[in-house]
Amino acid sequence: MDVPTSSKTRSSANIPLWLDVRGRKAGMWAFIFNRLTGLGLVLYLCLHLVALSQLATGPQAYDSFIALAKNKVFALGELLVVAAGFYHGLNGLRIALNSFGVGVPRQQALFYGIFALSALITVVFAAKMLFAG
Amino acid sequence: MRAETSSPKSGETTWLWLTKLVTGVLVIVLLFVHLIVNHLVAPNGLLSYREVAEYLALPGIAFMESTFLVIVIAHALLAMRSVLLDLKPSRAVLSGINWSFLLIGVGATVYGIWLLQVIVQRGTAG
Repeated sequence: MDVPTSSKTRSSANIPLWLDVRGRKAGMWAFIFNRLTGLGLVLYLCLHLVALSQLATGPQAYDSFIALAKNKVFALGELLVVAAGFYHGLNGLRIALNSFGVGVPRQQALFYGIFALSALITVVFAAKMLFAG
Repeated sequence: MRAETSSPKSGETTWLWLTKLVTGVLVIVLLFVHLIVNHLVAPNGLLSYREVAEYLALPGIAFMESTFLVIVIAHALLAMRSVLLDLKPSRAVLSGINWSFLLIGVGATVYGIWLLQVIVQRGTAG
């Protein structure tokens, strides 16, 4: 195991060091993005469950909420979820495969490929969600 | 680039690590099915209460959504626990984290499935 985890050199006592971006390599950036997108998706999951609770209140409450959600700010939030979801999912698959010895020699190329693919998908979704219609 | 692999860390059993990995893969599979089904059944999205109720009343959908819910919650909580393990919590704090996450997981699952049942019943009744 050689996880670029913060636990090796950065304990909770020196959390500010976690924010130091100097000297980080591709593996650490992959790890940081995976963490950030994961935490973002957990936040979204909580908000999603709260939003869906409007369904229990009844048709009027839910439809009012949906009407409120049809604006660019919400669309931007949804776009962030799409971007985070694609990156976290694809990078998670890469890590899972690497953990079982698959594709380890090409992991850096895979990371760059995943990052580029996620960015491309995000641009396509942005065009549809923010600018179409 | 260092080998970014995943393996159990201190405080994480092999089973928990493997469950986190397997649920992660299942989330991707079910998310794909969830999106495909949503867009095939409702090409413009489920944007009204009536559309959501009718969608959830279709055969097999409630089961798929319940399974999706359980797996997403399990993966999210196991991953959050894994993040917190990096802060090297004491045994007592870790025990508190374990119980809290167990309660949150069970609570969110029960709430989510209850909500699904309520909407399914309204959908089939309407």
